[in-house]
Amino acid sequence: MSKVRTIGADVWKHKTDKVSLELFTLMYGSIVSQLCDDFEHDYTKVNQQLDKMGYNIGLRLIEEVLAKTGLPRCHSFRETADAVTRVGFKMFLNITPQLGNWSVDNKQFSIIFPPGTNPLVEFVECYDERARRELWYSNILAGVIRGALEMVQLSCETEFVSDVLQGAAQTELRVKIIKVLEDEVPQGEE
Amino acid sequence: MIYSLYIFDRHSDCIFRREWHKDSGKKAGINDDMSKLIFGICLSLRNIARNLTDSDSFLTYSTSQYKTHYYETPSNLKLVLFTDLLTVSLVNELRQIYETLYVEYVVKNPLQTTEVKTIDNIMFSMGVDALIQSLPGYA
Repeated sequence: MSKVRTIGADVWKHKTDKVSLELFTLMYGSIVSQLCDDFEHDYTKVNQQLDKMGYNIGLRLIEEVLAKTGLPRCHSFRETADAVTRVGFKMFLNITPQLGNWSVDNKQFSIIFPPGTNPLVEFVECYDERARRELWYSNILAGVIRGALEMVQLSCETEFVSDVLQGAAQTELRVKIIKVLEDEVPQGEE
Repeated sequence: MIYSLYIFDRHSDCIFRREWHKDSGKKAGINDDMSKLIFGICLSLRNIARNLTDSDSFLTYSTSQYKTHYYETPSNLKLVLFTDLLTVSLVNELRQIYETLYVEYVVKNPLQTTEVKTIDNIMFSMGVDALIQSLPGYA
């Protein structure tokens, strides 16, 4: 566990290209606002699209995590959760969100961003009343995690359950494991 | 002597195949059935190793004629390299192919479809050639 803790910081320090946080935040903001325009402010669709974009990012991003960290397979879902927050979030966004709200069977947990820690919402204010209720602004993160975990054989559901932008005390992303995917074997072979 | 390299994706499809020393090595023509057999034997051996040791410790196997080097990433990408018996373990080199070539040129290539069907990428195949041919055991 302590190894996981240092790997994230180490990779972030020495092995990643950095971009300006403001540039990044503003760019994400313009993507979201463009999507809102494109889908004529149908926020359900915007959420879906962000999730899909994130999913496709996640499928690729995990390979970079594995290549740069050399992390072995996790043995428990708790280990996975630790790796997501301490390695994944650390190396790409330089944040370490908190983990919490574990379900009794250890199959669900929440990734919690206390106010001011989610870089995506740095300059964001939501004036539109309906958007405040329906838009999950950072939904791309839900997709990224779902995509990344699927590549390591963990089929998950991910969704935001609260967001600072919607007036909640903290932003909470719920991750729920559905099943561990089996190895695929070639068709017609036993 | 290094004979050939196979890469299988998580759907167990062969997405990359490269042969060296075609004439001097085995004369067997390698076809699609062959790559399925290779996948099968590696998967079986890996599963046996997993059952015995509870860890991913299957790295290589040898026959009287050739040696196989195997590396699998946690994302289920499998790299299989065939060499002669004299070659030392090349698992680290396979890892290097994954880290510096596959991730850089295939995964990060925006033109590459998300689910890789076949690797048709000059940078990648040139990189693999260069790396393999620079190894002391190549010729």
